Amino acid sequence: MTEPVAPGTPPEPLEAAPPETVAARFEALQRAGGLLVPVVTLLMAFLIAGLILWATGYDPITVFWDIGKGAGLNWFGHLTTDTGQASAYNFTQTLLGTTTLILTGLAVAFAFRCGLFNIGGQGQYLVGLIVANWVGVSMVHLTRPAHVLIGVLLATLAGAAWAGIAGFLKATTGAHEVVTTIMLNWIAVYLGAWAFGQGGPLQGPAKSSPISATIAPSGTIPYFWGDPTTGGVHIGFFVAIGALVVFWAMLNRTTLGYEVRAVGFNPEAAAYGGISVRKNYIRAMAISGAFAGLAGGMDMLGPFAPIGFGSLDVYASSIGFLGIAVALLGRNTAVGVGLAGLLFGGLLFGTGHGLSSNVIQPQLTGNLTLIIQGLVVLFVGADILILYLWNARRKLRPGRKAEPAA
Amino acid sequence: MTTLTPSAERMWRSRLADVRTLGYVGIGLGVLAFWLAIPPFTIRSPLAPILVGLLAALAGVWTVSSGARRLGWGAIAAGVLGIALGVLATYSSTGHLDQVFTAALIAQMLAFATPLTFGALGGMFSERSGVVNIALEGMMLMGAFFGIYGADKTGSWFLGVVIGALAGMLLALVHAFFSITLRADQIVCGMALNFLALGITGYFFFQLYHGANIGTNISTVPNVSIPWVRDQRFIGPALGDLNLLTWVALALVPISYMVVFKTAIGLRIRACGEHPRAADTVGIDVYAVRYASVLVSGALAALGGAFLSVALIGRFNENMTAGRGFIALAALIFGNWRPFGAFGAACLFGFSTALAYQLPAYSSSAAVLFLALPYVLTLVAVAGVIGRTTPPAADGRPYKKQ
Amino acid sequence: MDDSAVLELRGITKRFPGIVADDHVDFDLRRGEVHALLGENGAGKSTLMNMLYGLYKPDEGEILVDGKEVTFHSAKDAIEQGIGMVHQHFMLIPVMTVKENIVLANEPTRFGVLLDENAAAERVRHLSSQFGLAVDPDAKVERISVGQQQRVEILKALYRGAEILILDEPTAVLTPQEAGELFAIVNSLKAEGKSIIFISHKLNEVLEIADRITVLRRGKKIDTVPRAGATEEALAKMMVGREVLLQVEKPPASPGDPVLEVEDLEVLDSRGLPAVRGVSFKVHAGEIVGIAGVDGNGQTELVEAITGLRRAQAGKITVAGRELEHAGTREMLDAGVGHIPEDRQRRGLVLEFTIAENVALHDYGEPPDSKWGWLFPRRLVDRARRLIKEFDVRGGGPLTLASALSGGNQQKLVVAREVARDPSALVAAQPTRGLDVGAIEYVHRRLVTERDESRAILLVSLELDEVLSLADRILVMYEGRIVAEHAVGVGEEEIGLEMLGARKQKDEETVA
Repeated sequence: MTEPVAPGTPPEPLEAAPPETVAARFEALQRAGGLLVPVVTLLMAFLIAGLILWATGYDPITVFWDIGKGAGLNWFGHLTTDTGQASAYNFTQTLLGTTTLILTGLAVAFAFRCGLFNIGGQGQYLVGLIVANWVGVSMVHLTRPAHVLIGVLLATLAGAAWAGIAGFLKATTGAHEVVTTIMLNWIAVYLGAWAFGQGGPLQGPAKSSPISATIAPSGTIPYFWGDPTTGGVHIGFFVAIGALVVFWAMLNRTTLGYEVRAVGFNPEAAAYGGISVRKNYIRAMAISGAFAGLAGGMDMLGPFAPIGFGSLDVYASSIGFLGIAVALLGRNTAVGVGLAGLLFGGLLFGTGHGLSSNVIQPQLTGNLTLIIQGLVVLFVGADILILYLWNARRKLRPGRKAEPAA
Repeated sequence: MTTLTPSAERMWRSRLADVRTLGYVGIGLGVLAFWLAIPPFTIRSPLAPILVGLLAALAGVWTVSSGARRLGWGAIAAGVLGIALGVLATYSSTGHLDQVFTAALIAQMLAFATPLTFGALGGMFSERSGVVNIALEGMMLMGAFFGIYGADKTGSWFLGVVIGALAGMLLALVHAFFSITLRADQIVCGMALNFLALGITGYFFFQLYHGANIGTNISTVPNVSIPWVRDQRFIGPALGDLNLLTWVALALVPISYMVVFKTAIGLRIRACGEHPRAADTVGIDVYAVRYASVLVSGALAALGGAFLSVALIGRFNENMTAGRGFIALAALIFGNWRPFGAFGAACLFGFSTALAYQLPAYSSSAAVLFLALPYVLTLVAVAGVIGRTTPPAADGRPYKKQ
Repeated sequence: MDDSAVLELRGITKRFPGIVADDHVDFDLRRGEVHALLGENGAGKSTLMNMLYGLYKPDEGEILVDGKEVTFHSAKDAIEQGIGMVHQHFMLIPVMTVKENIVLANEPTRFGVLLDENAAAERVRHLSSQFGLAVDPDAKVERISVGQQQRVEILKALYRGAEILILDEPTAVLTPQEAGELFAIVNSLKAEGKSIIFISHKLNEVLEIADRITVLRRGKKIDTVPRAGATEEALAKMMVGREVLLQVEKPPASPGDPVLEVEDLEVLDSRGLPAVRGVSFKVHAGEIVGIAGVDGNGQTELVEAITGLRRAQAGKITVAGRELEHAGTREMLDAGVGHIPEDRQRRGLVLEFTIAENVALHDYGEPPDSKWGWLFPRRLVDRARRLIKEFDVRGGGPLTLASALSGGNQQKLVVAREVARDPSALVAAQPTRGLDVGAIEYVHRRLVTERDESRAILLVSLELDEVLSLADRILVMYEGRIVAEHAVGVGEEEIGLEMLGARKQKDEETVA
């Protein structure tokens, strides 16, 4: 139904094209630049990061190379005299991070395709993590496949429900999903801090520290490469790859995806076609949250299973936010998110634990990643700038004005 | 509601004014219902909060039925909450209550509310001119780090605070450039700047100080000790020794109100935020007004951050603001983009945070949940349960001059 | 009123990509006169005035104010020259008060900073009484009536010292009584020495208020006549008369049973004002019923109500005997009502979808396009390929994005999709807007073909000759009501007058 309009508000001229949605803008960007624009964006971000390094007295090339080693890049060709062990370890950790980042990236990307901003990936991730912890610790009577599956499933559903709240509020009251998801993020943070904290329901046996119990062996996800306790990759990696396929299939091969994309591009035309815009808002948010919840669940039952998750970890966690950068760099497509997830996975680990500290301290490079992340998101937000610069090099053709109503 | 003769309009409006006062009275009664049960009154009978709270709820019902929905529901909510909390308090021992509800709690509330107030007021300027500012957190963080860095390097807290504000303005300039000139998506920009600020402050903190404390003798913003007030029994610990920046924040609330709602420049700012094309056609430079407003928001938010480092704690930690920028945003929304409303929300959130820090003496785990209260409240507010929140009409939409 | 020209436009020309909006137009305004600018939609009136107000720059020609040549770079320049404009779509800020809106950017201040509210209210009241424009300075704009809002707009211009006032279709948003009040205001402005340009397409009003009348048609000035001696018929002929471009060959209709019935329909527009005030008609199978009228007389809301995009306040809609109450778009589609929307880019198509995906916009949820929620893109593509061929859509294949097609082909796509669903009734709103001659011809022939397939077709169009050449029965809509009904062969001028409110048939109509 058409919305009421305040008196004196000028009605839009009929000839104009529909107002630009977020999804439409990204689509245009995608078509205009293809793979080139994300790569250019990334290069510009790295360039500026390199400038910062250089201005503070470090050699950018060496630093970036070290980050690459930290990410395990050198595992591919054993390019350095580094033993295959260390680089293999680094690479597994990168893949581990990639697993989570692909999923949190999909959480943001799917919502964007419906024209919605899901900034709540962090909260949805945490909720999934909390639920998975509860299942992993309490349902010990289950055998291994069932235990893990139920944990992962409930975590996914928890994330979906958490995001669904925001979707529901948007559909019924029109509350902006940016505000609601941000609020829900923080509510989830404090929920987690309480649950795992002193006196909380999910606190582990060590009652003096605010950390959860470890997961029972029946509830841990199997690993296929490396040792779970010292770090390796679990089969969740394939789940993440599968999620990419599911994402693509859902959007391009199902009626649900058709509706989501239609609403994302042009809600008016979608309504004209008989599609319920409100229902799709709820659905899109719920599915997005499911991806993030899945990430949280698998992280809890995977790398965090033997060590538990504590209140401090809850406060420090920011992998859901990194998903925003992943989605935007990957232009909200399956392939893009996959590649961006790999890139940021490498950056994350390579600048953190993997880095050898004789060139530069990890804390510095960790912050550098944040800067790169911020720049990537900033430049995507200003796609006009990049497109403009690009167009200016090819041909100078200012946009044409729409015909006015005479 | 389209055709009303002017006299009918005036009559209707004066009647409404009465009802609005009743609504505020209702909210006050709800607060009183709780306050009666805690120090310094500590009335032990549950009847007191129940009766007063009922009065509050009745006032609220009357207010709602007379048309002021939002205010009325607020009074009803205050009444119900007042009853619940008041009765709960009567079940708790007086010893516990005395421990938790000290006059110092008020001082703590104001201390927590200070950065929130700065941030919310800053956000108000930006959003009133039509630019959404989610980067309050980042601007606050810039102010926190560069404020104390400046205080360290110059040896003066005043210069430090100024440098902090300038750092916030720098980030705001980036936000303004991308949002106004490039017409980029303002929310995406805001998020990006938050990451950027986190990274920049963290990077330079480690680069310059290697993560250690910035120094032990940093000049900090002094507290303002009011001689006679300080010695009073209740008001003394509450108001007698507040920090200078807290007083600045308190003063800024009515000043912001005056600027935005009572000056010519404020009228133009609001015009740009409500109907930029109308403002353009009467000759207002929408771009300039928006740039200025965003820069002001950067400076104010940074002041909030500088308070944390230069005034309150005296050093810097990574990610020191820890989400306060978002609480400030929540306070702004909860306060319906008005200075006094935002300040009231900041106090409310500051109170719940202060309470949360006192509660570990009583029950440690519940304290953490209290910290989530500001977000829950804002969620409820945005969902329009207590009436709609109304941002400026053109908030968030980039403007293109014809 | 003296003879000196306070404003002169010489040879003003403005071109936009594809059309010439104004073609060497000459216009002059004498001091103290009311000069009406008359013309249909698209005649070039608003563009001309926008140039006068500094919002556009003329490609050729000069503007002279008080004999001096001026160029305007912005609205501010025009304001400085004493030109004030009251736009058709108000530039008022709803949440602010009347006086705030009026004094914006020229505020009276105390100590240079503080807003002097009392002074503002005082100045507003002063202007108010001087020109007879009654407003309450402290009322919020969103609460006052449209007529009062218009007065605020006029006061805005007067406050800034306007000597020349441009009123752009001022009565378009007013009730008849408010229009009367407006005329009184115009006269008192005239008495105070202001010069007024009155843009309108309503003949009777123009004849009531204007001293001189200039008629524009398709960007060219036809003539300027004094009011004395001007008649409605003469003006209508100047406005409307042109060679009929297309004459569609069509066999006479043989209408069958009524398929689409509308009874006493009342619909509100987006502002909550009545747009459709009790409309009743029937469309039979095998006939084309055309609704003629000037834009803004309720046709859009009528179409939206019939197709389920807008809820009607009162009245009944019956399709093939089934009464549909509060039906949404999906119900109307399922009931067999097809809709070719008036804005194909906004409503009719998702531009970022491929042709195949757009073809499926209504039916994606059903076999053969999908089953149990799983989409079969290949079937969409096959169906699209068939439709492209059958309906001669050019510019790409099934996988081409809709945005890559020309306007004409986009419309062909929409028509193809709607017709292929085999609807019993087809509502076509502005089906040839923005199309070139070839595409127009195609759409017209297609509509006739569908009529001969025994579909009931409701054609709503702003182009009079389109309605005249296509429709078997013509209904004229004015101010939300059907004021006339004609069979084929009625004269253009007669309908033109009815469309402009100048003439009505007897009120008691039995619409077959």
